[in-house]
Amino acid sequence: MSGFSTRPVSDAPLRRDFGWRFTAAVLASAALTLLLAYAVVALLWRGTALWGTNIPFVWGFDLINYVWWIGIANAASLFAVVLVLRRHGLRSAVNRFAEAAALAAVAAAAIYPILHLGRPWLFYWTVPYPAATQLWPQFRSTLVWDFWGIMSHVVVTFLFWYTGLIPDLATMRDRAAARGRLGLARIYGFFALGWRGSVQHWARHQAAYRMVAAMVLPMLVSAQTIVALEFATTLVPEWHQARLPLQVVATGLPSGLGVVLALAALLRGGLGLGRYIDDADMDLLAKLTAAAALACGYVYAEALLVAWLEDQATRQAMAARAFGAYAGLYWGAALLVVVLPQLLWLKGVRRRARYAVPIGLAAAIGVWLDRFSLVAGGLLRDHLPRTGPLYAPSLPEWTLLAGTVGLFALMLLVFTRFVPVVSMFETRHEESEADAP
Amino acid sequence: MTAPDPLPPPDRRSLLRAAGASLALAAAAGCDDPQEFGAPLHARPRGVSADSASYATVLDLDGLGRGVLARTLGGHAIKLEGNPRHPASLGATDVFLESAVLALHDPARSRHLRRQGRALRDAAEFETWLAAQQAALDLRGGEGLRLLTGPVASPTTRRLIAALLARWPAARWHVQAPMEDPAAAAGAMLAFGRPVVALPALSRATCVLALGADPLGPGPAQLAQARGWAAARAAGREAGRMPALIVAESTPSLTGAKADRRLTLPPAGIEALGRAVAAAFGLGPAAAHPEAAPIAAALRAAGPGALVLAGRGQPEAVHALAHWLNARLGAPVRLVPDPLAAPAGTLAGLLAQAEAVTHLLILDANPAYDAPAGLDIAGLLRRVPHSLHAGVQVDETALACGWHLPLRHPLECWGDSRAFDGTAALRQPATVPLVEAAIAPDALLARLAGEAADGAAPVQATWRAAWGADFEARWLQALEAGLIADSAPAPLAIAPRADVALPPPAPAARGLVAVFAPDATLWDGRFATEAWLHELPRPLGGVMWGQAVLLAPRDAAALGVADGAVLELTLAGRRLHAPVLVTPGQAPGVVTLPLGGGRQVAGGMPGGIGFDAYSLRPAAAPWVAPGLALRPTGAAQALVGHLPERALAEATPRVRRVAAGEAIPPLPTPRSLYEPWRYPGRAWGMAIDLDTCIGCNACVLACQAENNTPVVGPEEAAMGRTMHWLRVDRVESGPPEDRSVDFQPVPCMHCEKAPCEVVCPVNATVHDAEGLNLMVYPRCIGTRTCSNNCPYKVRRFNWAGYARQAGAVPVRNPAVPLRPRGVIEKCTYCQHRIKAAGEGVAETACQRACPTRAIHFGDINDPDSAVARAKREGRSYALLGELDTRPRTTYLARIGA
Amino acid sequence: MTTHLLAEFEAAEPMVAALRAARAAGWRKLDAHAPFPVPEAAKLLGAHESPVGWIAIAAGLAGAALAYGTQWWLSVHAWPINVGGRPLHALPAFLPATTIVGILWAAAGALLGMLALNRLPRLHHPVFAASQFHRASEDRFFLSLELDGPDFDAAAAHRLLAPHRPLSVAALGG
Repeated sequence: MSGFSTRPVSDAPLRRDFGWRFTAAVLASAALTLLLAYAVVALLWRGTALWGTNIPFVWGFDLINYVWWIGIANAASLFAVVLVLRRHGLRSAVNRFAEAAALAAVAAAAIYPILHLGRPWLFYWTVPYPAATQLWPQFRSTLVWDFWGIMSHVVVTFLFWYTGLIPDLATMRDRAAARGRLGLARIYGFFALGWRGSVQHWARHQAAYRMVAAMVLPMLVSAQTIVALEFATTLVPEWHQARLPLQVVATGLPSGLGVVLALAALLRGGLGLGRYIDDADMDLLAKLTAAAALACGYVYAEALLVAWLEDQATRQAMAARAFGAYAGLYWGAALLVVVLPQLLWLKGVRRRARYAVPIGLAAAIGVWLDRFSLVAGGLLRDHLPRTGPLYAPSLPEWTLLAGTVGLFALMLLVFTRFVPVVSMFETRHEESEADAP
Repeated sequence: MTAPDPLPPPDRRSLLRAAGASLALAAAAGCDDPQEFGAPLHARPRGVSADSASYATVLDLDGLGRGVLARTLGGHAIKLEGNPRHPASLGATDVFLESAVLALHDPARSRHLRRQGRALRDAAEFETWLAAQQAALDLRGGEGLRLLTGPVASPTTRRLIAALLARWPAARWHVQAPMEDPAAAAGAMLAFGRPVVALPALSRATCVLALGADPLGPGPAQLAQARGWAAARAAGREAGRMPALIVAESTPSLTGAKADRRLTLPPAGIEALGRAVAAAFGLGPAAAHPEAAPIAAALRAAGPGALVLAGRGQPEAVHALAHWLNARLGAPVRLVPDPLAAPAGTLAGLLAQAEAVTHLLILDANPAYDAPAGLDIAGLLRRVPHSLHAGVQVDETALACGWHLPLRHPLECWGDSRAFDGTAALRQPATVPLVEAAIAPDALLARLAGEAADGAAPVQATWRAAWGADFEARWLQALEAGLIADSAPAPLAIAPRADVALPPPAPAARGLVAVFAPDATLWDGRFATEAWLHELPRPLGGVMWGQAVLLAPRDAAALGVADGAVLELTLAGRRLHAPVLVTPGQAPGVVTLPLGGGRQVAGGMPGGIGFDAYSLRPAAAPWVAPGLALRPTGAAQALVGHLPERALAEATPRVRRVAAGEAIPPLPTPRSLYEPWRYPGRAWGMAIDLDTCIGCNACVLACQAENNTPVVGPEEAAMGRTMHWLRVDRVESGPPEDRSVDFQPVPCMHCEKAPCEVVCPVNATVHDAEGLNLMVYPRCIGTRTCSNNCPYKVRRFNWAGYARQAGAVPVRNPAVPLRPRGVIEKCTYCQHRIKAAGEGVAETACQRACPTRAIHFGDINDPDSAVARAKREGRSYALLGELDTRPRTTYLARIGA
Repeated sequence: MTTHLLAEFEAAEPMVAALRAARAAGWRKLDAHAPFPVPEAAKLLGAHESPVGWIAIAAGLAGAALAYGTQWWLSVHAWPINVGGRPLHALPAFLPATTIVGILWAAAGALLGMLALNRLPRLHHPVFAASQFHRASEDRFFLSLELDGPDFDAAAAHRLLAPHRPLSVAALGG
């Protein structure tokens, strides 16, 4: 039975020509990435004075975008992990690029905590290393927790992605060699670590893959929680809330799922992988997005309700966030994250990419608004009246955001160019099971 | 003919990039004759480099002196502090004194002789011209020579002017004093028939009625009056009977903020109230005012503790009736001859005979800017063939005159001065002269008068004549003490005429009333060259780097304008565009125009900050002018520093008010699982008395000068990035028409359970063994998390390298490090001063500056320290105490309802 | 000299059947290669999943202990300093980093443990010499028999494999 061929998947990276659209996309995202480089150099040269931040709004796009990217990364890997752990049918189709999206997003996110510093070149002072100053990090700080959190997030997400990728890299090695492209085969072979498909290796590999996936799960929750704790452990009334970690984790989901949904649609169309990412997959993904949005609705409602029952300061802080200067962000987030994705429950909407994809991306934008509302709007009501004007992002901050979007896109394009976008071994496995009598 | 080529117009950021000549230049000039320097007063503080010294000298505001001690390092004045012995300082400073070191070091100071506004390197041409003119004047007996100065109380300057007039008898002296109130002098003439001033002893007053007067507001007597008022409050708290301060005013003032009863009245309403109160005591025709009876009763009850003060903008009748009432009540008032009274004409008088003027010498005055509207100074300066301006700054007048001569800053000069009460003091150089070409004003006059002009010679001549054989001993004594003992004139034993004939009130005018006011930070405009003062939030309204006209909420609503809306103001056919600040507590129908803004040539500052209210100011009615018309232009202008007030419904108000003797129950100490840290040695703490804080901002500038806190400039300030380590919050409560204002200085609280420290990832902010919340700049990586977790928001961040950027403020205290870009900074409790004090008494800069001694600082473990005693008072409380951050800085509640 | 025989199958089932037969016949040095996990075959070859898990758990615990120990030692002994009046040994505040570092080590332990148990990376292996072996990563299943001893020679192998109809049988040299 040689029917279960994953040739279209493995052949995609081996194509010599990806067409002008791909080239254009690479050029566009590379241009944005260059813009990022420019923004970074400008920031290092001129300092954080370039931003719109002030006292009390000491954090702006740096933290907004950080939390946003982390949310996307989180939701995307959470989604991939759940699929792997539940051995869900959908996993072969989407978990590989969900992992890739998570990795790209976490890389985009990881830039911000460094750039956000007043003296970014000293970021390594948060690492406990025996410095000549004999001083150590202050381990009670949420920022030190976050240093470990973001580092572990990057490493574990990468391990998860790479563990699943090893057998497929072996396939690429063999396909490249079979086509006579020995140089490429050597590169794939190097990263495949000499994988030869031994069934004993497979057994241990599966154990390790599930183990890493199982580790990603608490890691995601704790990493995102730590990001939320950077806010929740402060004395700022709207931030100092036990619900904040849950809220940040939950509202991250629709954005990550929305991005995965959009990517899935792009890959189907762009790489002709309709067979591997079929309508049922898209359907399920859209429903998951809608369900996550519903969960966010609960979180939003709960925040309002609990704030109403809370002490005066908290109540005023919530009111300031929902009805103050940044009210538009708050309600915009509620609309895009909670309300709009509910349309995906309608079969007619979720089955059509031209509706489903914009809704997914809108959810991602909505979560960005939510992060903005949290970081800036959360500070509207502090213990003392505000001493400075409001925060508004500056052009260099927008440049930085555009740059990280470019970096994210570029990483994903490189990923589709060189790595099989669908987990081939799992597809084969599935099809063999389906074929079995 | 066009105006002479002015200085190159400074671009927007020029204030921060202004000419780079700073301390390097100063150091190069530091090789002058040591004889030029006065004798150090105080022994060198321990821990400070060997060439540190302190000089007692005196600086003037509106011609009246305030004694200061100038701390110098390596021959450079670093910081000014009040001279405790001087009656106009009493050890305190105001914002203008604090900024003097900045003016001294201003790289944009006038450094060169100028002809037609253009700098000249060579003085030969000037010398030739000066010799020729002297010869010409000698021939004519001074015919055509006019001397125009600012207000002068200095004995030496006045002696030299007299000598100059003696050389050229036909010459005339005129004084341009934009802050002078002619009605006050006229009122004194009305009451006493001679020019006297009444010096109130607020310390002995138990019931004060201020009729438009602002004794706690800025001015030459502010420090003494505020100290007296605070002393009366302290005595009242001790006795359980607080003195009453009743203020009737049309625009909010510092005195109004501290009033126990504040009446918002237009100027005519204040006059009516004054007349009614006077009538209740039998002066003048019967007049009724609803508030008069209870006020008169209160005054009568206070007896010799009662005091009536009339202020700027009130007509001579009100000044006269205040004198009369004070005499009648036996009020604690001392009558002394006006130290500024001089046989001089006015600016208007000078212009009246403009045709006769051939030579004009302008000394330390800027009439081209601050002359009232309608006086054609520019025309006069164009017409006069020979004009010489001498000033510290190249200002509008300097560029309009034929010649400009740079003057030394008072901190570089010998001289003398009289305080508001007539006390004389010697001025001595407290620094190496920073501008080689500059000349002392007295030296210029002495030269023209044909006297010895070198160094201390003119002032020594004055006092040698006064003291005779005693001179040597008394001279040194006066230099060391910073004042001349017993030089204040004896109080005049005169009484007002029993039959003071009060002129009838002016007929009611239609339209809005324009009230002109000195600016809280720019004063009459002379301080518009100081970046510190531009960036200082005004105590009321908070506006910095600009100005606003004040409008009552009702009038603003009627016009349909909000904060920042630009109005066109029309007064007597003259127009001015200015942004508006809607001000609760402003009398409806009254528009307050601060003076001092809109300078076009202001040293290193960009031109046109604020607006020039002088261009509307009528010469005849300098303080209150009816008939103002307003028209919204539709444009708007951001008011930097002004935030729409946001009254928080707080569980516990941040400024507490208690009745006299009432105690605030202490907060329960929450129990903890953990052992607290102990501070067995010294434990530094601060207590700030909100009852006596008058919101004058002296502490803010003292902190800035002491700690090298950078100026960020208007763009950055508009973004909310000012760096003041200490801010004075204005806390408003009550309805807009009866707004009550509290001032709350907020430095770092040095919390024992500091929330900022716990969130710092790199140990950049930690505690020391004496409880100081330290900020370790080299460790800071700039996460700014500490600021997020500071509920008091006292931490400041260097978004840019403010301290070291080109054109940064050129005066620096070497004892305090400059902070680089990207690090947080904040109040250190003047850690370097604690260290320098060793085992002695440590004083923070803010505490030292405070005119009312509202700030107590010291070791709270020492039960006898002032701060420990203050913290034991019942009205002591912690700001946001419910957060249990255990702040070391606490507050003493305001007494009152 | 031929040391291995590599039989190619079109599907997993005949490969597993051949493997089972080989085990029954007493073949010891066997391996099977498949394009996806074949747990049945792995069981026949005696490969267990659990060691990977144990390695991961041990690594995680070691990482957590190291993280906590580091925080404790540095905060309490190496550099004791009053930070916000908090105790030097701030147990709750040390836990988040402890957890997350433990997870990091566990994940790394799982991957590295798997590679170690699999004796990977090993870029060269005799089976790669077989001309059709590249399809082991795509759609073919291979059984590798090591010839060691008289009863387990090539002839015996061919006898064993024939009923399962391999697509091909390749001989690999040592």
